Amino acid sequence: MPKTEEPTYPFCPDETKYEKLAKIGQGTFGEVFKARDKKTKTVVAMKKVLMENEKEGFPITALREIKILQVLKNDNIVNLLEICRAKATPYNRFKSTVYLVFEFCEHDLAGLLSNPQVKFSLAEIKKVMQQLLNGLYYIHSNKILHRDMKAANILITKTGKLKLADFGLARAFSDKLNRYTNRVVTLWYRPPELLLGERNYGPAIDLWGAGCIMAEMWTRSPIMQGNTEQHQLTLISQLCGSITPETWPGVDKLDLFTKIELPKGQKRKVKERLHGYVKDQYALDLLDKLLTLDPTKRVNSDDALNHDFFWVDPLPQDLNHMLSRHNKSMFEYLAPPRRRAPINQPPQPPGAVRPAGHNPDQHFERIF
Amino acid sequence: MSDSETRVHFRVIRYIHEASIKLHLQSIPIATASTIYHKFFRENKLKDYDPFLIGATCLSLACKIEEENVRMRDIVNVCYRTLHKNKAPLEIGDTFWALRESVASCELFLLRALQFKVVFDHPHKYLCHYLKAISDWMEPRQWEEIPIPRTSWAFLRDSYHNGLCLDFQPEHIAVSVLYLALQCHGLEIPFYKYARKKWWQVGAVFSKDITLEIIQTIVTKILDMYDIENLLAR
Repeated sequence: MPKTEEPTYPFCPDETKYEKLAKIGQGTFGEVFKARDKKTKTVVAMKKVLMENEKEGFPITALREIKILQVLKNDNIVNLLEICRAKATPYNRFKSTVYLVFEFCEHDLAGLLSNPQVKFSLAEIKKVMQQLLNGLYYIHSNKILHRDMKAANILITKTGKLKLADFGLARAFSDKLNRYTNRVVTLWYRPPELLLGERNYGPAIDLWGAGCIMAEMWTRSPIMQGNTEQHQLTLISQLCGSITPETWPGVDKLDLFTKIELPKGQKRKVKERLHGYVKDQYALDLLDKLLTLDPTKRVNSDDALNHDFFWVDPLPQDLNHMLSRHNKSMFEYLAPPRRRAPINQPPQPPGAVRPAGHNPDQHFERIF
Repeated sequence: MSDSETRVHFRVIRYIHEASIKLHLQSIPIATASTIYHKFFRENKLKDYDPFLIGATCLSLACKIEEENVRMRDIVNVCYRTLHKNKAPLEIGDTFWALRESVASCELFLLRALQFKVVFDHPHKYLCHYLKAISDWMEPRQWEEIPIPRTSWAFLRDSYHNGLCLDFQPEHIAVSVLYLALQCHGLEIPFYKYARKKWWQVGAVFSKDITLEIIQTIVTKILDMYDIENLLAR
């Protein structure tokens, strides 16, 4: 008789199987460590699931991340190896903890971009974007929204393989009418429809983020660094033109359209303003299509992958040669602050946890 | 598994289903809760755990896994009421907080026991697909009069009272409940007698490795399950 699975369920392994080497980041719901398997010596990344004050039981965001990562297996998605637990001891105030164990990636994109020694050629930028869009295409065809696209969540291995990471805000979506929370995506990468209160959104929200990241490949810092949602919308209007029902039919039906002040009479100048950084015409055209205000007209990942940008010379080129010149891990979290300017409050998605007194976004310079 | 254990599990599953209906849950979270329950007791001894706490926790976990927005508070209240029909509803107080706390911490325990494998392939989607396929073969009048979808869906729901969801492929369970529903209503697929293949052997629709033997084994298990129900009713 064929069985669907082997009926043996040993409990999951203890975290003492790994030794922690360093803290390398702060995820949406917990700290991230570099660690090594004591037996096999494999290096991994361990993400701690915060379980403090969980009156509602195991956090649903963590469960979503686990569930999503178990289903998604792709070269451009971070690979979940296993889940470990830590025993309740006096050290953790008798709260048991859970760790997600991932394959280790040496760099994240924000870390690489903040290091001036790391230089991307046009062909290498194409490879980064191609892998990023390929990852998005894969998750979107599996009906998953990432909901936290930003350079710090794009991991790159030392051989140049790109992996989408941090599915802490991700969730499944359907094509029906939905009412999801619009309090997602780090402010600087948040698309206009979310800022205007849309709750029935779809994959297009991740492509806006992809557009912001693509521009960042040249500008080296996030292109629109708003302090508030109002300010973010102003910056978006200044770059992409005024938000009106003419350019974006139906926008007037969104909750906040009348409640928020939107700059009027702004011309769309995506290509003009980025031209100082981006010389390639195909790149400018793809950026223009990704940074489209109306989410129904924004390019999807499939069409973006078919864009001429990826299919004319210079063709996408592997990063492993360029990265082989750097033998140090580059993570945004570990990057030295380049400028101590007080950049207001950290533009985090609500609910995200950041350690007090440390704002990893601090070292970015303003571009616009 | 001893007879008395089988009966306990039957009762707990019925309690899970009853609470689910009160909470207006869809079929999939109910199936997930039942599957987690059976999976847990396949590996753990009944005498070591309170099956009703495990049952309530399966429910709360299933709601999270299947994105049903149900508050922990409602699960505790509804489960308590389902279990203690003759007692007054739960007041906010020590008992309530203790129950809530135990479900909350039991969630992590169950997840560890499941090794965090929380994605399940249920027969429901296959059954929908098969029903659509055979509805195209039937005469429209007949199909409208005889509630095959409803009967097969009910058999599928009831099948979770025993652990067959762990032992058979979801496609096979789906064909079997459909087979049983057609038999119960005495309905035949048109031209079935003249066909070279049985209807469930049509490879474009049904899974290729299904055999009459598998169907009969699953059907027998479902019918045995109804015998336990009669036994409990007596």
